[in-house]
Amino acid sequence: MLFAAEMYGVQFDHLAAVLGASEARARATAARWRARGHAETARLGPGGPWTWLTRAGLTACGLPYAAVPPALSRLAHIRAVAAVRLALESAPGYSAGGGYWRSERRLRARLGGRIGLREHIPDGEVHWPDDAPVPWAGECWAIEAELTPKTAGRTTAIMRELLTRTGDYGGPAAEARAPGPPRHVRVIYLCSPAARSTVTRAREALGEAGARIEIRHLPPGAAMPSPVRATR
Amino acid sequence: MIRRAGLRLLRIAVATALVVAAAPVSLVAAIGAGLAWLGGWPPARLYRAALWCLPMLVVWLAATAVATRSAAQVAAGPYLAWLAMWHRGAAGDWPGAAAVIAPAAIPVGLAAGGLAWAYRIRSLRTGSGGLGPDSAVAFDRRQWRHQARSARARIAAPGAVPLTVRGGRVVVGAVIRTVGHPHRQIASIPYARMRSHQVVVGSTGTGKTTLLLRLWAGFMATALRRHAAGQGRAPLLVVLDCKGGADARRIADRAQRVLRLAGARSTAIWPDQAALSLWALPPAQLTTTLVDLIEHGTGGAAYYADVLEAVVELAVAAPGGPPAGAADFLARLDPGWLATAYSSGGHEAELGLLRSAARQVGDIALRYRTLLRRLGHGLDGGGGFGDADAWYCILEGTAEISVAEAQARALVDLLASFAVRDGGREILLAVDEFSAVSRRLPIWVLYERARSLGLAVQVSAQSWAGLAADEDERHRITSSADGGIWLLRTPHPEPVAALAGTRPLTDTARRLIGIPVWRHRGSSRMRPAPVTDPELIRGLDVGQAAYLYRGGVTYIQVKRLVAAPAALPAPGRPRPAEQTSTAATARLSAGTAAGVPGPARSGPRLPDVSALLDEAFGTEPAP
Repeated sequence: MLFAAEMYGVQFDHLAAVLGASEARARATAARWRARGHAETARLGPGGPWTWLTRAGLTACGLPYAAVPPALSRLAHIRAVAAVRLALESAPGYSAGGGYWRSERRLRARLGGRIGLREHIPDGEVHWPDDAPVPWAGECWAIEAELTPKTAGRTTAIMRELLTRTGDYGGPAAEARAPGPPRHVRVIYLCSPAARSTVTRAREALGEAGARIEIRHLPPGAAMPSPVRATR
Repeated sequence: MIRRAGLRLLRIAVATALVVAAAPVSLVAAIGAGLAWLGGWPPARLYRAALWCLPMLVVWLAATAVATRSAAQVAAGPYLAWLAMWHRGAAGDWPGAAAVIAPAAIPVGLAAGGLAWAYRIRSLRTGSGGLGPDSAVAFDRRQWRHQARSARARIAAPGAVPLTVRGGRVVVGAVIRTVGHPHRQIASIPYARMRSHQVVVGSTGTGKTTLLLRLWAGFMATALRRHAAGQGRAPLLVVLDCKGGADARRIADRAQRVLRLAGARSTAIWPDQAALSLWALPPAQLTTTLVDLIEHGTGGAAYYADVLEAVVELAVAAPGGPPAGAADFLARLDPGWLATAYSSGGHEAELGLLRSAARQVGDIALRYRTLLRRLGHGLDGGGGFGDADAWYCILEGTAEISVAEAQARALVDLLASFAVRDGGREILLAVDEFSAVSRRLPIWVLYERARSLGLAVQVSAQSWAGLAADEDERHRITSSADGGIWLLRTPHPEPVAALAGTRPLTDTARRLIGIPVWRHRGSSRMRPAPVTDPELIRGLDVGQAAYLYRGGVTYIQVKRLVAAPAALPAPGRPRPAEQTSTAATARLSAGTAAGVPGPARSGPRLPDVSALLDEAFGTEPAP
């Protein structure tokens, strides 16, 4: 339930991956949540149904988010970010390092309704404890999932903003860009084939600072399934 | 006299015999007409129901043809069914009798019921039916109650009223009654009308906000869908709430949640949660706007206005670029600063102008310092209209009129500049009670400017008088509302209602020959009657609206959009894991230039994370 709450909503195949069970089992689990009034399920777009938490479910999880279904215009993006999180959390190095995923929804909630305008919010942050047995202990990474290419200029501006931010989200505006070390030690970009060239060009435009940006392909299962067509 | 009474009795006897003989048809017709009366349906609904039953009749006739293989038997089918019905009825098999006659009786009965209901409506509308002259009025009031009850029931059904329907039509609610418009169950308007000018008039507490929220959400959802399909540009909704106060903030919160459900990624509430930058205007426009923000007098004061404009232009157009913010602009309103800025050579004319106006520069700086302080930080931020899908701008038109007037002027200039420079958005500008702040920017100027920029403007007010400052402006606004006029309950609807025009109506006069007996003979004449009845508008309930468009009117029960509950306040303290860790901070600090946030320019290299990323996302192909 926490995963579904943090990611706005989750599709049944991803829920099955989170639970480590079959899709039928995930469906039954979602039905149980729904029966208790903790979640809603519906077929919102292509692929399997989605489940998301109701107000009662969010209260049960102790999360202060608005109980809304995943926005239709963002389904593909939400699915891609969930796939990225699943892929990262399934890596042995992630659990060994004790990584902690801080979702975009949590970051937005910290803004308390002050919807980011000029302020860009990453799709997630990964925090590594100081005493983690990995070389990157203590770092904070920004995670970005890119499905469709933006303009190179806009992407460069977002990268620069993420790399130069110093303060936490929801803190005083004056601390967002204050003298001191940057908040995000690195930015991990997970790109679709269509967006990759733009992101690469944008990183090159940053020069030396681009060394703190890692670009990878989106993991399998990130793409929204094509709409099912009737077959004879 | 006796002969006439006899003929009348004979007519009644023949009609009764026909009704009894055609009992199944009569029964269905009576039920159909009764339901139409109870639900306030138009006769067309019964006709449509009869048409939908025709396949049943065709199948029944086809089955008869297959069974008997005789065209004569098929032709005689209804008659034989009628005979069989009576035989079965006589034997006490009433369900069987009904089943035998139903395929023929139901469509014919519904059509007959529709005809009878149409006759009843027409006779009462023209004054030729009913027991007395007031029957028509009582019938109409009763029908309105029935129609409104049906519409309320229709919107109460879950899922019955979606936000949009096929073809990108924006759904508003359920139809109560139409005059001059086609009757439909669900009231919807094409998206194109949301891209035209509209006017909304309704008193407080009549459901105006509910209607506006529904229209805004419909605009947003449809425009986003069209944009995703490559059929249109991305939408931008800008709402100017010129009343301000706690009520405006409550509506802004509702709008934010409703628009989120409609697909808007971000809704900015200005100036509480987001700020715009007045200084992003092009220099020439910035000068005009800054000058217009200050109140000028006439006569001798006009000279002062000219000096003010010259000084502002010097400050804005100084070599080195326009000011970046309020503090920068105020710093420039200083004779020393201006003299230094223009001393690089080739600016003799400007320096001459500065020498002439040097004595007034201090006063001008004082006025702008006061104005910009009162305007607050809402126009001194770093944002632009392009940063959000929707902007809800709250102007304190009730509490601080002069500030709100200046803000309105600046916001409209900013939006116009945005529309010109970034023509990639379909913009709907909704202004509520704009007349409260329209002293410096007449609303018809806003209208004309919006029209030239391709913006759609939606003007809403609590009354006819609230639409604009004078009668000419009001007429100019309403007559150019080519997207339609929404009229909710208001005490003085006549000027707006008259815009729907008139329609020909038959009036019939009958003689009273004794209480309560009226003669069936009389005279009729045609007269023009208003399409929109002002009395009906005055009596509208909460949530009921009249939509005037092209000489017709549709009365609508507006469906309220249920927004998601507001989010709980953000937690006060971050979780330990949410704090930026100290080890990485120290590492990066070592490679960061002192005092400047940014990338590590030198110092220790970051640890390699390729192994982890390879584990998670697969290995990268060699370049």
